[in-house]
Amino acid sequence: MGQTHWGWLVAIYLFLGGMGAGSLLTAAVVELTGERYKHAFCPTTLIGAGVSGPLVIIGSLLLIFDLGAGKMEPWRIIYMFTHFTSVMTWGIWLLSLFIPVSLLYGLMEIMDNYPGILAWLRRFLKFLPATLPYRSIRRVLAGVGAVLAVGVAIYTGILLSVVRAVPLWHTPLLPLLFLVSAGSTGMGLTIDLGATIAVPDVARRFHALPIIHIVLIGLEAVLIGLVLAVAWLQGGVAAESARLIFMGPHAVIFWAFVVFPGLFYPFVVHAYAIGAGRHGFISGILSGAGIVIAGLFLRYLIVFSGIPVAL
Amino acid sequence: MNGTNKKSRSVLSRKQFLKAGLAGTILIAAGGKLMTLDQALAEARGKYALIIDLNKCTGCRACELACHQRNELPGDMSYIRIYPKQKPDGSPYFLPVQCQHCVKAPCESVCPTGATYHHESGAVLVNDKTCVGCRYCMVACPYDARRYDEEKGIAEKCWLCLDWVLGGGVPACVQACAPGARLFGRLDDPDSEVSQLIASGRAKPLHPEFGTEPGILFYIFPGE
Repeated sequence: MGQTHWGWLVAIYLFLGGMGAGSLLTAAVVELTGERYKHAFCPTTLIGAGVSGPLVIIGSLLLIFDLGAGKMEPWRIIYMFTHFTSVMTWGIWLLSLFIPVSLLYGLMEIMDNYPGILAWLRRFLKFLPATLPYRSIRRVLAGVGAVLAVGVAIYTGILLSVVRAVPLWHTPLLPLLFLVSAGSTGMGLTIDLGATIAVPDVARRFHALPIIHIVLIGLEAVLIGLVLAVAWLQGGVAAESARLIFMGPHAVIFWAFVVFPGLFYPFVVHAYAIGAGRHGFISGILSGAGIVIAGLFLRYLIVFSGIPVAL
Repeated sequence: MNGTNKKSRSVLSRKQFLKAGLAGTILIAAGGKLMTLDQALAEARGKYALIIDLNKCTGCRACELACHQRNELPGDMSYIRIYPKQKPDGSPYFLPVQCQHCVKAPCESVCPTGATYHHESGAVLVNDKTCVGCRYCMVACPYDARRYDEEKGIAEKCWLCLDWVLGGGVPACVQACAPGARLFGRLDDPDSEVSQLIASGRAKPLHPEFGTEPGILFYIFPGE
């Protein structure tokens, strides 16, 4: 079976980190393309920017909880900022920069949508102006946040792909897969699931986004196929890993929790949405929920199926 | 806390203590020569190699147990693990594996805190004051040489019993090896037995294809 040093907490973190980054990316795209300003209320940017910070914070807390001595003596975590040959050090820097930017971005979205918050804050902080230049602040935060989000999403893949001792992970395809999957889970959460619930007629609003999303889903399917094919062709423990995933003990998870709900079904829904110019309320929610669940189980499969080289 | 103190790994502080208190005052006999302790300690500094002759290893597990006791490890933990293997003709042999002290140690490069580092002797050590217990090193080590101490939350490993070695002794596993399969010596002395065995190609690294360049552990494989 796969390596036993890292388990569920790491898998969930990889998922939350990716989805948080993807949510911010989705919001940033809608913000920076100006799509947001075609409507009086944009649920996608509000949800995307709002949830990205909390998701990554929860993931980071899980990582800290997974530590040994670093959990018992948290000041040791400071050492983790110091050793730049380690991808984990890049990660902790990216997370430390991403979290405040995404929180601020989310706060700006929320304050713009609910002006009462600023009025309430001004009762204590007298120096605050009566209104803030939300649009320009948000554009800067969306731009900076998007760059950091791409960093966070890719690094979660590089973290695993530098490990030569686990051949399944040791491929540059993995960071690419995690980036694409981060984008897809982010869109699934903020648009398919969040925006559909918040504004049921959201299905008729966006034209370019379902096309972007279906491309990501297709790309993700291709990348998963390539990762497995490369592992299979390598032989040895890499092929064993691939076998674990698509026909071994993990096959049920792979087909029933990743391929069907996260790739096949959303692909059909989005293809229909592009053709019809809209998608249904139920199918939108199901596709969003499926993509999110698949994102989690994809990380689970990669982490738990990584078999170390044999001695 | 007591356990931590008993098992202090700070080679340097011990050396400095000895130097400060005793240097120049004690004459010791090493290899028939009279020298001060200072000179003896200076002499012990250098690079080392540990060669395991798999033709002699009987799999008796004395090394494993000696390591467990010497390092006061919990449960049945040891920094050495012995794998039963088969020769091409089907007959069995044993492969003891511990930290290979790689020159390009993946555990060192993936360590986010720099707690894993190279000592001047070539040994790869772990600073238990800065390790956070993320276990990235355990994931990255192709020899599976790291051991996680649940209680202390630290990923530990073979440290070549450096306190004994730098005092002129040999590691516990070498002392304990009943069939004499473990050979310990100076790598920086071209005339030493270990250097000769490595130079002649009889002693080879385990799995050189991993690309980590084992620096201290070498093996004489069955039939060689």
